[in-house]
Amino acid sequence: MSKSSPRRPFGGKSNGTITVIEAKVHRSSARNARLAFILTAVIVGLLAAVVAASYMHPILALFLGALIGVPLGGLVWVLVRIWPVLRLLWWWTPEIGVTTFLGTGWVQLANHTPMPVTFAVVALVVGVPAAVPVTRRVLVAWTWCFVVRHRLRVCFAQFIIANQSGSLPLILWARPTPVGERVWVYLRPGLSLADLEGRLDRIAVACHASTALIERASDGNAAYLRFDIKRREVLTAQVGSPLVDVIDPATPATDRPTPAVPTALDLPDVDIPTVTLPAQKKPPATANGSKPAASSSTPEDDISDWI
Amino acid sequence: MTTATAPTAGVPVGPGLSMFDPIFVGIDEFGHPVYITLAYRNLLAGGEPGGGKSGLLNCIAAHAALSVDSRLVLLDGKLVELGQWEDCADAFIGPDITEALAVLKRLQLVMNNRYAWLRAHGRRKLTAADGLSVITVLVDEIAFYSATVGTKQEQEEFVALLRDLVARGRAAGIPVVAATQRPSFDIIPTSLRDLFGYRAAFRCTTPNSSNIVLGHGWAEQGYTATDIAPSNQGAAYLIAEGGIPRRIKVAYLTDGQIAGIADYAAWIRRPRPLPALVPDLTRLDLGAAA
Repeated sequence: MSKSSPRRPFGGKSNGTITVIEAKVHRSSARNARLAFILTAVIVGLLAAVVAASYMHPILALFLGALIGVPLGGLVWVLVRIWPVLRLLWWWTPEIGVTTFLGTGWVQLANHTPMPVTFAVVALVVGVPAAVPVTRRVLVAWTWCFVVRHRLRVCFAQFIIANQSGSLPLILWARPTPVGERVWVYLRPGLSLADLEGRLDRIAVACHASTALIERASDGNAAYLRFDIKRREVLTAQVGSPLVDVIDPATPATDRPTPAVPTALDLPDVDIPTVTLPAQKKPPATANGSKPAASSSTPEDDISDWI
Repeated sequence: MTTATAPTAGVPVGPGLSMFDPIFVGIDEFGHPVYITLAYRNLLAGGEPGGGKSGLLNCIAAHAALSVDSRLVLLDGKLVELGQWEDCADAFIGPDITEALAVLKRLQLVMNNRYAWLRAHGRRKLTAADGLSVITVLVDEIAFYSATVGTKQEQEEFVALLRDLVARGRAAGIPVVAATQRPSFDIIPTSLRDLFGYRAAFRCTTPNSSNIVLGHGWAEQGYTATDIAPSNQGAAYLIAEGGIPRRIKVAYLTDGQIAGIADYAAWIRRPRPLPALVPDLTRLDLGAAA
């Protein structure tokens, strides 16, 4: 319990060294737990005592209040201390649920049916979705959604920690898109959209994706973001225009006067032209002060583009 | 009640599109159609040669040609990119900056008249109910007019006129769609480039070029047209209504399809070329369509 609390807020399991922030967080976790214990015990105890005072002697009521408040405070203390573990369990809930479900299903099936039937059922349950392209793609896409949520959490835990308590952004739901996944994230204090935009390439790498884009998901709340993870290019096919179907194919072609067909379509057919340079070349030679102005035009290129 | 058979060679009826309708330009990464409403907007397309800029221009030209309340003014230094729309365009300018200047001046006059008309009616912008046509100005290879042909004065005049159209034409129903490969300041003055509200960046070779088209800072946020594969023609980043670049694939019209739409548009529009003397662009062209 106490071992997991310092490492979980960062997800940095492999780091053997304990940094200052980790120690700080560990301390803050212990302090939070103590505070929660005291607050809960006092408030619940007092409340219980006040209520109990209407039925018994106040001193007895106080004892009763303490009897109720202290265990409840202890419960809260435990909850706060194991909160990192609970959070970890919460993060992996879908996976745990699916694994439990599949395992139970397999055991039940194996216990209640003969071997050939078991294998037939498994072959059907696994084989049919895998064989039908549509269901296979849907399954793979949703699997990627789960993967990406974990990968994003790794991103936030490994290299986007921004506040002192090391709290991670809330990674909300994810859903597949034709190009990859879209994940909604609610930032905690300490991060902003601009911070994340500087790390798009690293986020893409962490998510095993091609590129990543981040947009605001809400006009009124800067903390609510949308991550677009792209892992494939879909806009490769040719797109037709619906206007083609609007027109009448039996349209009489407009009779155009045949234009004079140009000749001299190859290089030898064209005479050598007499190139005369414009007479504007003289002024720069005379003007002494215009030299720096002329030379500054090239390096100015990129700057002026933005002006 | 008797029913009469429809005449076989009847009057063709337009498909009922309007320039105030959203224009279909392609699909986005989620397979959703992408529409832009161009009536009050200007669009700048940039990107390397063969990226698909002309595809976008042809898409818009096709919609404009099939719209009842639309007039097309085409400026195409290459003649072939928009050349197939010549029959349904009210003005088609090839590589001739004098003609380009003339038509831009006429457009400026029309714009002034329209603003005077709007003022007289106590209004601020043209709507679909006004019955006035939206004059879509399509410029392919804007660099040809602003930096290649003509004298320095002519080029500056072209840029000044176009800037005026882009700056003021919005509410008067004169949208400008311009395409060029790299709209850096030596091709188009930044004062003109920054006026374009909608941007489409086709494949670019450097993030810098992508930023020039889309606007400063988008490449740093991950929206850079360099990540479009060279073989993926027509893929682009589009900044339109949402304000955030969207990866789109522009709908592609083959030469045959363009010819078909152009013929049909010419058929239903019965085009009248611009009268030489009196600018008549403000009149609704319903008489000609009947």
